[in-house]
Amino acid sequence: MRRIALGERPDWRASAQTNGFTFHTLDGAPYWDESHAYAFTLEEVERDIEGPGTELHALCLDFVADAVEDARILASLAIPEAAWDVVRDSWRRGDPTLYGRLDLAYGGDGTGPAKLLEYNADTPTALYEAAVFQWLWLEDLLRLGRLPAGSDQFNAVHERLIARFRAVGGASLALTAYADAPEDRGTVAYIEDCARQAGLATRFLDLGDIGLAADGRFVDRALTPITTLFKLYPWEWAFADAFGAALSATPTRFLEPPWKAVLSNKGLLPHLFAREPGHPNLLPAYFEDDPQKARLGTSFVKKPLFSREGANVLMVCDGAVLAQDHGPYGAGGHVRQALAELPCFDGRHALVGAWIVGDDCVGLCLRESDGPITTNAALFVPHVILPG
Amino acid sequence: MSSPIERSSKRSTTVALVLVAGAGATAFALGRCDPSQREEDVLVYRDPDACIRGGLRTENDCRSAYATALAAYPEGAPRYPSRVDCEGHHGAGHCVDGTAVAASAAGSFVPILAGYAVGRLAEQALAPQPLYDHRPDQAGIASSGAGGGGYCTSWGGRVVTGSGGASSSARVSSPAVRPAAFGGFGATGRSFAAHGTAGHGGGG
Repeated sequence: MRRIALGERPDWRASAQTNGFTFHTLDGAPYWDESHAYAFTLEEVERDIEGPGTELHALCLDFVADAVEDARILASLAIPEAAWDVVRDSWRRGDPTLYGRLDLAYGGDGTGPAKLLEYNADTPTALYEAAVFQWLWLEDLLRLGRLPAGSDQFNAVHERLIARFRAVGGASLALTAYADAPEDRGTVAYIEDCARQAGLATRFLDLGDIGLAADGRFVDRALTPITTLFKLYPWEWAFADAFGAALSATPTRFLEPPWKAVLSNKGLLPHLFAREPGHPNLLPAYFEDDPQKARLGTSFVKKPLFSREGANVLMVCDGAVLAQDHGPYGAGGHVRQALAELPCFDGRHALVGAWIVGDDCVGLCLRESDGPITTNAALFVPHVILPG
Repeated sequence: MSSPIERSSKRSTTVALVLVAGAGATAFALGRCDPSQREEDVLVYRDPDACIRGGLRTENDCRSAYATALAAYPEGAPRYPSRVDCEGHHGAGHCVDGTAVAASAAGSFVPILAGYAVGRLAEQALAPQPLYDHRPDQAGIASSGAGGGGYCTSWGGRVVTGSGGASSSARVSSPAVRPAAFGGFGATGRSFAAHGTAGHGGGG
């Protein structure tokens, strides 16, 4: 994996506008950055990202199967007891999953196997820009002759999302998020687009427009029952909301399903490591209240069970604080994971995201940060597979 | 051997958008919603006069709330394919031919308007709504409408009052007087908003 300078397409902002990429700049700060890109070999992609991505997801499913039947595991994940049946029932019913994103430390000097940092299994964003705008970038550069013929990209996300909706989507889908959060709204608009292309009748509802009817169904403002609801809203928040108590009895189904709460949780990391201590893609990890955490010595990363975009992560190297993000997620339990620093190119730290659609790893994306923790200020940088 | 121009297998063959492209994913502003409420205090009156006599609301409020309920009645009243079905829910003699109520109700039977319910407090923001006698036990017995104290709403929620149903206050489960509760999702995430940026809500 290399960082290569390619230069921006002069008209990319117009292209973004035309293609509905409304959040390429957020709060006045750039988010999409195509001044350079990351170049992979096909072998790197298939051996180091695609294969391990699919395998890690399979390990995660095995873990869910055990976790939902084990009160100690559910408690260790800080899933409220009132929600255990919701999580358990959704797994036993076989409620399908749509997608997720594994975040991996990979690349740089002395490249070894990719290491799992976390699984954004419940509410991943960066989907539209990975599936669509990154793809358009590659096609443009090929057409302009700025990339060698035969250049490719690990990115079947769009086609696989539509295929997944065809397979499991049912007839209609309501989608919800905070309508006033542009990145979330844009992500959900893209997912609605894919669902529509798969033949589903779709409608978007602000979170506040989700109603709970007397019969336990979730409904829209017209009282039309919602059969399936895609929600870009984390399960741990939904469990804590007023409607959380209604989840156990509702016939409404959800994407992602409630069992994703087991995976979208940093507590996943110590459990996976305990199950597969020799796995090449897993870092040693322990719950913060586990004395075995001392095995990690003076270099580790402390993460809250629930946090997004690097918030409240503490990175310690040789006993010194390397980086720390302050945020709102400090309450609750933490895990401690062995330090796997992100590779640094030209002073920039790169994080690999491996996209899972259904049960397969089908694409990748990169986020680039000033500091060693990838936060919500990280840039989205495209990638290319250069011909061998 | 693959030719240099052969399409590869690692990326989508085509990427087309049907909704997002062009206009863009337009975020639209929406008002904040009512907090979810589990129970409601309601006042139940047979007619505006009963409301005025109750003395809890002004005459103007009583009449305007009744007018709202009355306006909701023609389209809001439940509809049944036969008089037998209707009287099975609402009691003998408590149903009329839908034609008399609304053109769209022709060919069906609807219960008569038996009263109306208003929220005890303005803060409840509960729309005044029509009530119907709930008399499944009197399907075959002509009754005057008094006694029993049972009402139901347009969507089948039960409202049981304490004093024979003429005029009374009641504490009822929210779904009985609201077709649905809104605003029950989102509050937890908003409590993290101090840290979040404008672009990021629940995604990550």
